[in-house]
Amino acid sequence: MNHLLVLPILLPLFTGAFLLLFNEKASSHKRVCSTAATLLLLPLSAWLIAVAGQGQFLTYALGDWPAPFGIVLVLDRLSALMVMITAVLASAAMIYAIRGDDARGRNFHALFQFQIAGLNGAFLTGDLFNLYVFFEILLIASYALLLHGSGRERTSAGLHYVLLNLLGSSLFLIAVGTLYGLLGTLNMADLARRITQVNPVDAPLIAAAGGLLLLVFALKAALLPLYFWLPRAYAGATAPVAALFAVMTKMGVYSILRVYTLLFGPEAGELAQLAPPLLWPLALATLALGSVGALAAKQLQELVAYLVLVSVGLLLAGLSLGRTESIAACLYYLIHTTWITGGLFLLSDLLARQRGDTGSALVAGPPLNAPLLLSGLFFFGAVSIAGLPPLSGFLGKVLILRSATLPEARWLWPVLLLSSLGLIIALSRAGSTVFWRTQAVEPTHRKVDGWRVFAVAFLMSGSVILVVIAKPLTRYLDQAAEQMMSPGAYIEAVLQETPP
Amino acid sequence: MELLFAITLGVLTTSGLYLMLRGRTFPVVLGITLITYAVNLFLFAMGRLITGAPTIIGPDRDYTDPLPQALVLTAIVISFAMTAFVLVLSIKALSELGNDHVDGADR
Amino acid sequence: MLLALIVALPLLGSLLPVLLDRRGRRLPAFAAALPAAIALLTLLSFTREMQAEQTIIVSYPWLESLGLNLSLRLDGLSFLFALLILGIGLLVILYSRYYLSTEEAMGRFYAYLLVFMSAMLGIVLSENLLLMLVFWEMTSLSSFLLISFWSHRSDSRRGARLALTFTAGGGLALLAGVLLLGHIAGSFELSQVLVSGSTIIQHPLYPLMLILILLGAFTKSAQFPFHFWLPHAMAAPTPVSAYLHSATMVKAGIFLLARLYPTIAGTDWWFYIVSLTGLTTLLLGSAMALFQHDLKGLLAYSTISHLGLITLLFGLDTDMSSVAAIFHTINHATFKASLFMAAGIIDHETGTRDLRRLSGLKRFLPHTALLAIVASLSMAGVPLLNGFLSKEMFLSETLNQGLLGRFNWIIPAVSTLANLLTMAYSVRFIHQTFFGEAPKDLPKHPHEPPFYMRLPVQILVLLCVVVGLFPGQTVSELLAMAARASLGRPLPEYSLEIWHGFNLPLLLSLIALVGGTLVYFFLSRPLFRLYEKLPDAEARDVFEGTMQCLVRSAVWFTDRLENGSLQRYLALMLLGVLLITGSALWRLETWTGPVALTPLDPLTSLGLLVLMAAAIMVALSHRHRLQAIIMSSVAGLMVAMLFARFSAPDLSLTQLSVEVVTAVLLVLALFFLPWHTPRESTALRRLRDLALAGGGGALVSVLTYAVLTRPYESISPFFLDNSLPGGGGRNVVNVILVDFRGFDTLGEISVLAITGVAIYAMLEGVTLPRPEKGLGGYSWVRDRHPLMLRVVSTLILPLALLVSVFIFMRGHNLPGGGFIAGLITTAALILQYIASGLRWTTARLPLDFRRLAGFGLLTAGITGLVAPLFGKPFLTSAFTHVEIPLIGDIELASAMLFDLGVYLTVVGSSLLILANLALNGRPQDKERI
Repeated sequence: MNHLLVLPILLPLFTGAFLLLFNEKASSHKRVCSTAATLLLLPLSAWLIAVAGQGQFLTYALGDWPAPFGIVLVLDRLSALMVMITAVLASAAMIYAIRGDDARGRNFHALFQFQIAGLNGAFLTGDLFNLYVFFEILLIASYALLLHGSGRERTSAGLHYVLLNLLGSSLFLIAVGTLYGLLGTLNMADLARRITQVNPVDAPLIAAAGGLLLLVFALKAALLPLYFWLPRAYAGATAPVAALFAVMTKMGVYSILRVYTLLFGPEAGELAQLAPPLLWPLALATLALGSVGALAAKQLQELVAYLVLVSVGLLLAGLSLGRTESIAACLYYLIHTTWITGGLFLLSDLLARQRGDTGSALVAGPPLNAPLLLSGLFFFGAVSIAGLPPLSGFLGKVLILRSATLPEARWLWPVLLLSSLGLIIALSRAGSTVFWRTQAVEPTHRKVDGWRVFAVAFLMSGSVILVVIAKPLTRYLDQAAEQMMSPGAYIEAVLQETPP
Repeated sequence: MELLFAITLGVLTTSGLYLMLRGRTFPVVLGITLITYAVNLFLFAMGRLITGAPTIIGPDRDYTDPLPQALVLTAIVISFAMTAFVLVLSIKALSELGNDHVDGADR
Repeated sequence: MLLALIVALPLLGSLLPVLLDRRGRRLPAFAAALPAAIALLTLLSFTREMQAEQTIIVSYPWLESLGLNLSLRLDGLSFLFALLILGIGLLVILYSRYYLSTEEAMGRFYAYLLVFMSAMLGIVLSENLLLMLVFWEMTSLSSFLLISFWSHRSDSRRGARLALTFTAGGGLALLAGVLLLGHIAGSFELSQVLVSGSTIIQHPLYPLMLILILLGAFTKSAQFPFHFWLPHAMAAPTPVSAYLHSATMVKAGIFLLARLYPTIAGTDWWFYIVSLTGLTTLLLGSAMALFQHDLKGLLAYSTISHLGLITLLFGLDTDMSSVAAIFHTINHATFKASLFMAAGIIDHETGTRDLRRLSGLKRFLPHTALLAIVASLSMAGVPLLNGFLSKEMFLSETLNQGLLGRFNWIIPAVSTLANLLTMAYSVRFIHQTFFGEAPKDLPKHPHEPPFYMRLPVQILVLLCVVVGLFPGQTVSELLAMAARASLGRPLPEYSLEIWHGFNLPLLLSLIALVGGTLVYFFLSRPLFRLYEKLPDAEARDVFEGTMQCLVRSAVWFTDRLENGSLQRYLALMLLGVLLITGSALWRLETWTGPVALTPLDPLTSLGLLVLMAAAIMVALSHRHRLQAIIMSSVAGLMVAMLFARFSAPDLSLTQLSVEVVTAVLLVLALFFLPWHTPRESTALRRLRDLALAGGGGALVSVLTYAVLTRPYESISPFFLDNSLPGGGGRNVVNVILVDFRGFDTLGEISVLAITGVAIYAMLEGVTLPRPEKGLGGYSWVRDRHPLMLRVVSTLILPLALLVSVFIFMRGHNLPGGGFIAGLITTAALILQYIASGLRWTTARLPLDFRRLAGFGLLTAGITGLVAPLFGKPFLTSAFTHVEIPLIGDIELASAMLFDLGVYLTVVGSSLLILANLALNGRPQDKERI
């Protein structure tokens, strides 16, 4: 029983609660406390990766009640990876935020910590209802963070986001209820085991519940036609929040991957192929429409929001291929895209700060104070996210392309490659407008904040690191994908402690 | 009984969803309240409808399924929180956007 | 290892010029030349192996599952190209030192140039095709940066984007093609791919793969119809044009054709696509070159035409034609690079590149004039110069093919015509620039450039002459080894002689030379007039127009799709729900399961009917909002009663207290919101919504009914069995909440606390309008706090608090617990607020609710943290029985402490929510709650 496993949830949760004991201002003490708690997640997640990398499943039975009766946390390669991605992203967002953005609204730090607690809880839990609870935690925190800093656009986009998700939560409960009403359990491993033994007459009911879950997760992941809320919401959010939200859609992707490999995995009989036929066309359409949106974007932050959609489309398309290689490829791409879009969100804010009233609008603006540094960062991020070599985006793209076989490749390849071309056009237009088509006025004297640049560079450097460590990383991911594709071991590991 | 119960939930859901599809925030919130009722009852009913068997441990008694009750309790509290949030948000939207349309604009 | 050094040196060295940027001009140039020179020396150290026709392969396995290995290859072909890249690269570095002005960011320029050099070397030295692709796209990127070097100029920016779009787009096609090729060949290693020719050609995917690869090659090498980008890339500084856009990068496509020749050539597909593309490009380029007024524009189209010529040679698909192609690649690199540099000198010295303004420059720039004239004559294919040799080979090859059957004559005819035009524009270039009267009103007064700026041109022109005169002694060995490496088999017999006797190719050559001169001197006027009548379609404008059109349609489409209407989004989501679940439930054989239905009892039925009626009433009366609130409260009460009816007293209590708080909240909210809902939706819309809502309702009904009539086997007996012995409580629901699933509860009170904080944060800066009139237009009651209510509430408060303590205490064993107790406390306090006013109550109850919520959350959490101290998991509970005199047996359970945390959080959060909202309506009360 290793208590470190529960820390990624408790550390931010307690920090958040602790921060409530003080006033709502972003004081330096709170900043130190919140930043320390966030940065501590880095070594913690590194430890999780190291443990999970050995190939065992680590379980943690909360309240000492064995699965399936109590709630268990389960660490496998996938969940460790997701916690790590979140920790890195959150650290950068936090470093960026404490340079002033946190003071734009009340209680930023507490909300930020609760958001992380929700994310980590959702990644680690092995219980479906507990997943619902953590979804609610991360949602309510995200509602508040989205509105952080107020403003008309934020409020109106936030309202849509909240209302859609409220309906989503109701659907989640209906799905959980149906599964419990038929199978009598909530533990995901136990559910998976019971689904394999389900009476075929009742299978359509289980399928309906599975469909509802898919819909809920697709809403989180922002899949067509459930993504329309995203561009406005993300474009309106405060930069560190938008950056942190880069992992929110991945939360949906993660849930789809988890539920549809475990509950409706290869051993679920006729319920096994529930998701792919639905996901596949919608994911491809999301990929295509995301790049169309990127071409249409009128603001840099909006453009990045569409990049999030592109990545979701590609990830879900890749996952619906349903092969071990494609899952591994998608996981690689997932790390890359989360960090780089997060970094680009921060970067577009950094640019907007320099451009005065022009903000991040894609029109000619005043010249920048540090053009080389900023354009260099943008060029780097754009190359990476457009999937051009030699950065991680290219590797991720090639991995996914390679993992597709006929007949799916016939669709995936053209859509993906054309969408890449669309992104190249969109990003080169945006970059040349922002950096080169400048008005003939004096550059603003607003200095570029060094720590903010560091936060951006920290995330962007991930693109190089992912290439450098590609060999061990892909091995880890291959094994993670194998774990996903053979859920038997997971089920055994979670349920072995069941008393006879 | 089960049939009537199921129909009742259907009616609750229908009313709630219909209200949710309206254009102003307040009916939408009411709709959410109704949907919440329906969902909570649904979740509750997953422990089956048994009368006179509360789950207080005592000698020689029948018990209903306690787990859904615990889940519903959690769900009630969470949905209360969400309803409160969205209510306040709609007031904020009214004050910032000038009207109570869900899109923040009269169409 | 040494091979990797050749590629890596320029890349690593690219940092040097940037670091030395501020130290004058000589140092950055030197720093740039150094890594290139070392790389060149390293390359030359392989000369002996190359002469021995060895192929050197170094391989570092990397991502084997992907097939991407860091493997490099040096053979004759890559040796030749690497030699060109490094050799001309060094000359360009020298030239640039004098070309760029002092104000320009020379360090950055050299850095880009070196990155490009490294990428280009990577392409030619890659053994792994995926690795080659990496470098391929890197050349596109560095070319983008170099073209846009003068980024303040609009033509640079547009030219750069145009080039990037074409070449990177082609790169994507190439990526697909290479992946297919690797898939077919089973490996991405060239040594494997090159021997799988027959498998590849017979594979059903071959045509697709070929087209994709050729798309990559043709976009890079500016072949028709992808040639548009090259003339606009001339917005780059001239050294870049000389290096990237004539000598090296555009040859990457050619290199690819040469490299993959043994595996993908030799089919009709190859012949028709490659040769016809090359032929078209050849003719088009040479024709367009004639009409350019910009010196660099002329050279750019000439480059296109020569690239077409080389492509055509590969397309002709004979061993000899490949030799000729490689030979012409060498020659073109030398004469065209020198011509570009000369053009750069002219531009640099006169301030213009417009042929119509230039004339008689030989007076001012005699050396440069001589060099440029020699180079252009070589370009035109005049004997005794290197261009003549490869052109002769080319013409004889066009005569030797026979695949077009009856139309065989087309290829030599068109080729001769193109040569004729080449002669014409070469003569035009020479004549208009250097001869004629002295130029008038040039922006600058021209004089000879510094010696070292001319030196690179001199070296290249010297090469043209020497190769032209003594081909056998100079280039033949290099050519032979490159051609052999490209073909992968022994070369045919050929001789690099100037004189082959009178034959047909020579005749065609003569026709071209004489005809071209005549055309320039006698026909150029009418031709130009004709050209000016042609519709003027500037490629860049067309591209920009296309792009803008693309963006406009993307905007239009996205606006239609995301019209910002929540109603549409929700409807779509509901539709999704119905489709997904509907299609699943369609397969359900029977709705009714095997479990028998319980009989209807009148009381419950009545309750259900009232609930239904209330729900319908809410929907019907939603325009009259207060009424709707009342109806929804009725529904809530009925839900509570149903809970009670079906053995859930805890739920019933919770629902009741939540209902009270919610009702207060709704009314409070309504205070700020409009009292009525306007009628907005059309009847059709309402019908649609009703259908969707009805579908959703039906879904819930079916699911409920179907599940309730089916048996299930729950994990619940465990809870019933363990509640008392394991959890120390008789109320199983409560034990589940605080013990079995305490983690859920911790999460749930977190949600509550976050909501309180979120609402608090959200209301910052919001001032809510306080309506003047209430419902029905009546004024508010003056007596805000009626005496009766005040008295009653003050009486009730202690009572209610007592009740909540009672409910809390017994929660573990009987219905009750922290939640319910917390909500009852909340309700009582709210009553106090309503009755006595916010200020009065706050003064007497100085509680910071946010702090209370945080404290409650921490209490619950820390209770859970005790267990890990004893080596048990988080939230493990413990309980003991204590015998207290007089009172008797008291059970003390850690779970109760947890429940206390729940209680505190519930009170704190609910009041935080309500008080904030209430406070906000009262701008005069700014004190903090």
